[in-house]
Amino acid sequence: MLKTTLRSGIATLAVLVTAPMAMSQDLMIGLRAGPDSIDPHWSTLGSQAEALRHVFDTLVDVDEKLQLKPGLAVSWEAIDETTWEFKMREGVKFHDGSDFDAEDVKFSIERIPEVTGPMPMTLYTKYVDTVEVVDPMTLRITTKGMAPSLPNDFTRLFVVPSETGMEARNEEFNSGEKAIGTGPYTFVSWQPKGDLVLSRFDDYWDGAPAWENVTRREIADDAARVAALKSGQVDLINYVPATDYLSMQNDNSLETFVSDSVYILNIAPSVKDEEPQPIKVNGVEVDGNPLQDLRVRKALDLAINRDVLVNVVLEGLGKPANQLMPEGFFGYSDKLGVREYDIEQAKALLAEAGYPDGFEIDFTCTNNRVPGDAVVCEALAQMWSRLGLTVNAQALNGTVYFPAAAREEYTMTMSAWGTLTGEAAYTYGALTHTKDPEKGFGNFNRSGYSNPEFDKVFYEGSQTLDTEARRKLYEDASFIAMEDRALIPTVILQTVWAAKADTLDMTPRVDQETRAYAITPE
Amino acid sequence: MFGYLVGRVAQAVVVVFVMSIIVFVGVYAIGNPIDVMIDPGATAEIRENLIRQYGLDQPLWRQYFTFVGNVLQGDLGRSMVYNTSVTGLVFSRLPATLELVLVSVTIASVIGIPAGLYAGYKPDSIAAKLIMALSVLGFSVPTFWIGMLLIMAFAVELGWLPSGGRGEVAQFLWFKTSLATTNGWEHVIMPAINLSLFKMGLLIRLTRAGMVEAMGAEYVRFARAQGLPDRQIVFSHILRNISIPVITVFGLELGSTLAFAVVTETVFNWPGVGKLIIDSILQLDRPVMVSYLVMVVILFVMINLIVDLIYARLDPRVRLKGGS
Repeated sequence: MLKTTLRSGIATLAVLVTAPMAMSQDLMIGLRAGPDSIDPHWSTLGSQAEALRHVFDTLVDVDEKLQLKPGLAVSWEAIDETTWEFKMREGVKFHDGSDFDAEDVKFSIERIPEVTGPMPMTLYTKYVDTVEVVDPMTLRITTKGMAPSLPNDFTRLFVVPSETGMEARNEEFNSGEKAIGTGPYTFVSWQPKGDLVLSRFDDYWDGAPAWENVTRREIADDAARVAALKSGQVDLINYVPATDYLSMQNDNSLETFVSDSVYILNIAPSVKDEEPQPIKVNGVEVDGNPLQDLRVRKALDLAINRDVLVNVVLEGLGKPANQLMPEGFFGYSDKLGVREYDIEQAKALLAEAGYPDGFEIDFTCTNNRVPGDAVVCEALAQMWSRLGLTVNAQALNGTVYFPAAAREEYTMTMSAWGTLTGEAAYTYGALTHTKDPEKGFGNFNRSGYSNPEFDKVFYEGSQTLDTEARRKLYEDASFIAMEDRALIPTVILQTVWAAKADTLDMTPRVDQETRAYAITPE
Repeated sequence: MFGYLVGRVAQAVVVVFVMSIIVFVGVYAIGNPIDVMIDPGATAEIRENLIRQYGLDQPLWRQYFTFVGNVLQGDLGRSMVYNTSVTGLVFSRLPATLELVLVSVTIASVIGIPAGLYAGYKPDSIAAKLIMALSVLGFSVPTFWIGMLLIMAFAVELGWLPSGGRGEVAQFLWFKTSLATTNGWEHVIMPAINLSLFKMGLLIRLTRAGMVEAMGAEYVRFARAQGLPDRQIVFSHILRNISIPVITVFGLELGSTLAFAVVTETVFNWPGVGKLIIDSILQLDRPVMVSYLVMVVILFVMINLIVDLIYARLDPRVRLKGGS
């Protein structure tokens, strides 16, 4: 009896002590990147969408694994080959108290081409031909050609009230005058590269979020962000560097959350007839392009020890990859096996291809575009040197790398690719399809890869409205491109969030977004 | 004097003009900003339209003259990333940098010059040797590393000061500054000390070298023979004579600190112009890069002019002749 009283007494005391903590309604987040503008139609930048999601809702939403779920639209269906119909959610209010309806969506679609910047959002409306408001809760969209991925595109379609007016620009949004959405938080203030201050919207359709006041502070420097968390200036940070992650494991006052990301480091060997930077044997340029030989590409692949990349080079913050997308994404192939490390077989293949003593090759990577790209680049060069190659590895800043890569000046590159839409069309359509500006495929195919078999299966998929049939075709297309080593996937990068221990709970997202309304106090 | 000023301004115009060409060609050579910014999923058509919309399909000379034409009308262009005017963007962040630089150069001179004088006055004392040793540390240890140490000590371990950011701002006379609030001072003091260390080391060494040299000079011996007290010799005779190199270096350092306090601003997450320009370079935000660098050139030219005017005030032998 006494024991129980004592115990409940302690429990009460504990509640009393921790109560002010649990009641805390303010959340301060330190983030590596923030928005560039408060206008939700200005730019496709990931950190922009992530921040503005708090103020504006999208027509379609995505879950933690990037698979579609209802947003402002409760359902959608293709009623014929070129028409999609979206049903709007009832009872949704804007922050100014006005009602949401299909007119607002129509206005938002039409506003995008008027205001969008050098990272254009027209990307998400490129298939839209006409927009028709059937009734206040029904929107019908006719597309240019067949567009099975339209609902995916609309996961970035932010909705503003139709009363916003076509004249409203950046300034009106940044000042807060037009920053009116249906999102879980209302806009309070923002400074470029500074704080985005938000306040809870009590009439939010999905239930008011837990935190009353949220500040999203941009702290670009990794060390500064970690220091801000440790000194108690912020409650949560994203993109914890690998070295700090290791030390945080031994720190009881901090808690970490790890998640796979959509980013996979992949190698792109140029298979053009004439490689951009010469490949040499004994200082003499070889005839033809060795990388055109599948045996050479396989040898390069087999010489990669992905376990070492993950456990040693990335300090555990990664996973071996066998294709360009993480598991569970639309079009992920289950048939591709684990990529084994087999240096003997690699050497044999290389000899069979006519290069028993290897060759000298240039290898160019991005530097600090994603965590670990430069170190993986160097590690790969070493692994290939065991194969007998002489690899001139170079990790370049994105400002230099991307324009030169676009001019196709490199023989072999490595960079990160993120399947931000959660489905195969985005990734394989841009990277491994034959370059075809007419159809809009192969825009990022810098290696000159072209496989009619892949193109056929992929194109069939892009013209199939039935979801399951399309999934099957994309799985087959993934399989073909990966077996052919069109690109060589290496590792899936993982990212880490850190918070003060026992203060909050969150489910990490594969797209790495930090959504304040999905974080709950513990 | 007037002729001199006109000559200097003409010189400045030429420098700014040449610099703008160098910057423009350099930035042009890096590549097309659209390729850095554009989303991977964009079609070739969207890309072509953008390049046309931003005039990037025009030949270099035409892009340059469009830029110069706009600048002459007072329009430095709009940022491609923030979609706001470059002038507005720079001036929204300039006060933060000015505060930081002001506090740090004050700390550097208030501590650095007297310490240097003392070290030169009594070069053999233990205190002087200590000062010299610290001054070497000041400009040889990397800024970011000292910055991290300061943060670890005073923000993380002791919890006395915030780890970064700018504090609350309040109205002071006609402008808003964080130096008008206690919270603002708590935020500025650590980055300012960090930023001042290099300059302090430099000032100490310069002042000391001048002091040691002057102590053996004839005018000092004369003054001594006259029976003047050391205090008067040091402050009214020596200080005035060793000021010229000190002021030259001080002016140049002031300029580079204003323009490129990047490292300190990054480590302490200080929302200044240095961070703005680095971010712009990384994103290849051409209008901001070009305009900012041209503004920096103007700043340096102005500081040099002021330094020259101060020379003449300090040393009557320096004649201000037209154009020289």
